[in-house]
Amino acid sequence: MTANEKKSEMADPEIAVELSGVDKWFSILQVLHDVNLTVRCGEKVVVCGPSGSGKSTMIRCINYLEKHQKGRIVVNGTELTDNQKVIDRVRQDVGMVFQNFNLYPHLTVLENCTLAPRWVKGVARKDAEALARAYLERVRIPDKADFYPSQLSGGQQQRAAIARSLCMSPKIMLFDEPTSALDPELVREVLDTMAQLASDGMTMVCVTHEMGFARQVADRVVFMDAGRIIETAPPEEFFRNPRESRTKAFLSQILH
Amino acid sequence: MDFAYILEALPDLMTGLKTTLIVSFLAIFLSCLIGLVGAVLRKSGIKPLQYAVTAYVEFIRGTPYLVQIFFIFYGLPSLGLRFSIFWSGVIALTAWASAFQIENFRAGLAAVGSGMHDASASLGLKRWQHSIFIILPLATRAALPSAMNTIVATVKNSAYLQAIGLVELTFVAVDRIAYDFRAIEMFASICVIYLICVFTISGLGYMVERRLSRPFGGR
Ligand SMILES: Nc1ncnc2c1ncn2[C@@H]1O[C@H](COP(=O)(O)OP(=O)(O)OP(=O)(O)O)[C@@H](O)[C@H]1O
Ligand SMILES: [Mg+2]
Repeated sequence: MTANEKKSEMADPEIAVELSGVDKWFSILQVLHDVNLTVRCGEKVVVCGPSGSGKSTMIRCINYLEKHQKGRIVVNGTELTDNQKVIDRVRQDVGMVFQNFNLYPHLTVLENCTLAPRWVKGVARKDAEALARAYLERVRIPDKADFYPSQLSGGQQQRAAIARSLCMSPKIMLFDEPTSALDPELVREVLDTMAQLASDGMTMVCVTHEMGFARQVADRVVFMDAGRIIETAPPEEFFRNPRESRTKAFLSQILH
Repeated sequence: MDFAYILEALPDLMTGLKTTLIVSFLAIFLSCLIGLVGAVLRKSGIKPLQYAVTAYVEFIRGTPYLVQIFFIFYGLPSLGLRFSIFWSGVIALTAWASAFQIENFRAGLAAVGSGMHDASASLGLKRWQHSIFIILPLATRAALPSAMNTIVATVKNSAYLQAIGLVELTFVAVDRIAYDFRAIEMFASICVIYLICVFTISGLGYMVERRLSRPFGGR
């Protein structure tokens, strides 16, 4: 075991994700400023904030889709470095769902769900398919297994993408605006799937502007602006009694 | 039009056609391979390789094809590189077609959105797995229509190789005309033969395209 792979000394089994003092630049543009966030195991954190505030960048740093330049990110006791083994291990624990689904268009829903288990974990085809069908059942599209993504509605595609992630048995799920590419009437079914996942105890970090979902599911709401975490609070408090003026301004915009 | 004469010339024409097809298929196969590799190198992030590939593409696109053929057949021997007429022809045709296939595959690769990379990375797929299972099929499918155009052009451009004495279809026709002066019979015949080849290839390409697009939710 190399130094890079060594579990962080301060590893706390209760903590799923910890960002401390994280800075991130895109060339000369600094998009994250001293971001500190701790997500406990089983916790559901909703991240909101204006466009361009760095929400996507922050959660993409958690599974190293983006590389941070300063600070520490520890996921399940493993500190993220640019060592590929470390990255691979963290990504085994972290699933991600994207705004645009990012399903593989040339593979059926079932193939989308079995590709990574078979090739990353070496699961036998039959077992991978059985697992995939179980998760497709759980997101309530068991009959779509043999369809191609383009033959599904947006809501069904996003639920397929959630199933695909779950097939890797992640301990933490990241969602980056999973419903904002959907027609309004399809948002509900995806949020219901996510709420069900939350009640099953999944650790979730979710960028969304669905404030009803935040109220119903979140343990904490994080508000970001201009690359900084401005405010963190439980949902009742966050919505009823926001402390910061920028939070108030943002809430008054999106709640009306 | 003297059809009896065409019939008499047919065995000769078929011999020429055979060479045309062999040279074309070699060039098509090699240029698709080089096109794929070149397109990947162009996106590799290795600067010297990227410049080399770009320079190559610009050179081929910016100079007359006939000059490239002469360069390979008459120019390279003085640099100590001597090839037979046949292989000079294959090299010239491949060199020309590769430049265009590189461009076609480059466009194909560019058509694969960054979302695919995000998905594969977050699922933990290795780079090579992502390249083979995701990028290759999606890029090929996006590149196919323009790659088919280049493939058809490759067959047609094999005719230029008569200029260095390769006995392919056009050479046979021109050669016979020099003795028999039946220009209309010969040129009409080889036009029909080329058309048959091109339609066959386009038809095959269309079938492949239909097959590949079916998984994308086409009916
Ligand atoms: N790949 C990139 N290269 C350069 N700049 C980027 C890149 N991705 C994001 N940015 C910039 O980083 C900042 C934060 O972007 P980010 O996508 O994280 O915001 P966001 O809060 O998710 O916004 P939205 O609600 O619109 O999704 C923005 O100013 C954006 O322009
Ligand atoms: Mg975003």
